[in-house]
Amino acid sequence: MRALLLAAAAAALLGGPALAAPASAPPGAKLPAFADLPDWSGVWIGDNGSGWDAPGITPKGGIAGLPDVREHPPLTPEWEKKYQANIARVAVDRYPDPVSTCGTPSGFPRLMSIPDGYEFVVRPEQVWILTENGPNVMRIYTDGRPHLGPDDIWATYMGDSVGHWEGQTLVFDTIGLNGDPHTILDRTGLTYSDKAHVSTRLRLVDKDTLQAQITIEDPVMLTRPWTVTKRYRRQPPGARIYDYVCSENNRNPITATGQTLTLGTDGKPIDRTVETGR
Amino acid sequence: MIRHVRAAIAAAALAGAGGPALAHHSFAMFDREREVVLTGVVKEFQWTNPHTWLQLNVAGPQGATTEWSIEGLSTGTLSRQGWKPRSFKPGDRVTVKIYPMKDGSAGGSFIGATLPDGSTLGKM
Repeated sequence: MRALLLAAAAAALLGGPALAAPASAPPGAKLPAFADLPDWSGVWIGDNGSGWDAPGITPKGGIAGLPDVREHPPLTPEWEKKYQANIARVAVDRYPDPVSTCGTPSGFPRLMSIPDGYEFVVRPEQVWILTENGPNVMRIYTDGRPHLGPDDIWATYMGDSVGHWEGQTLVFDTIGLNGDPHTILDRTGLTYSDKAHVSTRLRLVDKDTLQAQITIEDPVMLTRPWTVTKRYRRQPPGARIYDYVCSENNRNPITATGQTLTLGTDGKPIDRTVETGR
Repeated sequence: MIRHVRAAIAAAALAGAGGPALAHHSFAMFDREREVVLTGVVKEFQWTNPHTWLQLNVAGPQGATTEWSIEGLSTGTLSRQGWKPRSFKPGDRVTVKIYPMKDGSAGGSFIGATLPDGSTLGKM
């Protein structure tokens, strides 16, 4: 620490950048000390089932994406109607996952509930959530900056996230999400609107278990805030994140009617029936 | 061709399965209440994303061969589970357990396999 202070003083004297506010942070930013931040290094795997709210799925133990499986958030009548329509499409396998096109990421908050590996990269000025599947790259500013203003923000897959540290807990707030129909919460057909405001608390509950408590507030989708809890297990030392390029060998294209096909190695569907939508 | 077909105890199997088996698309095309066991010769193993694919030639009772397309998890997850890019080698005679496609076509979702040396991958 003494060495760092000396270095900072020397840098200031020499007119170089001060350590307290690197070039990436806004002027006057107050950053937490690196050494005070938690160790979230390594590779993590979610243990969250197939749905956004796995414990709330009916029938119990049902897998999101199979017929007649749903969750029970406090939906507005408008959104319940939309959810029912999606559930009816799932029942006949005509509710394709948006990520099946290999052109878009899962987006936030769904990226907190996907398979394959995660990294949670903690730095004083930002936290990055990197998912192998997708991949998704999520940036959370912790340098004290506010959200983008109303004239500067637009709806995106990851939204705009700002946060701060409460001890060893990262608390962050996300707005500016694009929502339905660009992103979903899970394959039961559950979606959220572009008015969603998501509050997340992320912390270690033991040395190798990260817990995310995620609250969605969405006046179009929900009648009241809806909180779910997700967990991630740290993998053994030396575990890696690997390459994931969705368009490398996508043998499951989607037809115009929403049918998910399976292609043989010759590029032709092996399915007995293929809808063209024409 | 299909040596062994049995109804799984669906609810228990699904509840015990933990996370989603497939990462990238709806898997409603698979019949997760049935498991099919195939024995055949590896034609090709595609170690790719978003899914790995095992192309397996399976001989029928009249000698005609059918090529099955068997879909697996991503390379990253399989690597962390100890798989290798060449876990299946062309020419290997293997036994593979799958959830078959509902429409009866020659495809399915990988559950487990027994390799020529008797070792297993996935759940056999």
